[in-house]
Amino acid sequence: MDLHGEPLERERVIVEYLQNRLNKAALEEFEDHYIGCQECFEELRLAAELMKALAETAVQRRDVGEITVLEFAAPTDLIAGSRPYDELSRSVLEQKDTKVLIDMSKVSRIDSAGLGLLMSCYSHVVRNRGSLKLLNPSANVENLLAITRINSVLETYSALPEAVHSFQEQ
Amino acid sequence: MITRQLEPITFSGGQLTPADLEQLRRRLLFKIRRHIGMFCPDAQDLLQETLTRFIAAVKAGSFRNPERIGAFINGICNNVIHEYRRNLWRQVDYEATAPEDRAVAPDAEDAVMASEVRAVLLRLSARDARLLGDFYLNGKSRDEICREMDVTNDQFRVMLFRAKARFRKALHQTS
Repeated sequence: MDLHGEPLERERVIVEYLQNRLNKAALEEFEDHYIGCQECFEELRLAAELMKALAETAVQRRDVGEITVLEFAAPTDLIAGSRPYDELSRSVLEQKDTKVLIDMSKVSRIDSAGLGLLMSCYSHVVRNRGSLKLLNPSANVENLLAITRINSVLETYSALPEAVHSFQEQ
Repeated sequence: MITRQLEPITFSGGQLTPADLEQLRRRLLFKIRRHIGMFCPDAQDLLQETLTRFIAAVKAGSFRNPERIGAFINGICNNVIHEYRRNLWRQVDYEATAPEDRAVAPDAEDAVMASEVRAVLLRLSARDARLLGDFYLNGKSRDEICREMDVTNDQFRVMLFRAKARFRKALHQTS
């Protein structure tokens, strides 16, 4: 176990330790080491927090070509004060992405704050000379978008290829 | 806390200052929680027992090789954890009812750090976030990730440590 010579090897050991995949001998060797090594412990602690945060992330980002697709990790309510609300806000308002597609398929309920957030996100992206669109909202959400006439500003699509194509047309 | 009541610990060939002991305490607590559960209320007791036995061993002159301090204390800690588990099993044998839920909330410091980490994660690029997720969470091998992201091993190494460095830097800025 070469923990200080090869950083990638240390990272592999850390991941396997945190995922309980090290065998007994390797586990003991690694614990013997990091109990006495502050540098390796800091790397271990950072990786542990990173893994926890990755597992708890409510909004996931992925790229489809030049388009940033934001999707909710689990069925969710987009309401004031919820973690998905907070994370969506940060994912859009603290970024400078210009082609943003929010996958709404897992949003089962949205309140006025959630609708307001969608509009804030839209304004933010448009200010950056970009565009923001919605993908596959549920019937309930689509109904609210229509009642509030937000759908006259925010384009919605029911399938990813169709949505991606719409960005390319611009 | 036992480390705050102590003078520096001196042994043949070295010394542990109170700051060293505080770092040691954090490393041991991390290990103990990995073994008995993150929110188990007995973690602090096991930590204190480990440190007490270590100090007793130092005073008795049993600790002679400062370079092996990690292995020495880890051995003590393993014994403490084994004894704790044996006692727990004995209690379960004699008690007909299930042990009451005594979980405790995480440390405030850990909760703050977790919240900061989540905030930092949202500022990473989608590519970096995907790389970190695949490597740290989804159990994918380096080869799998290289194939899926169409990068070489060297590029993977650079991307991983750059992503982690950004993460570390953003975390330090946040805190």
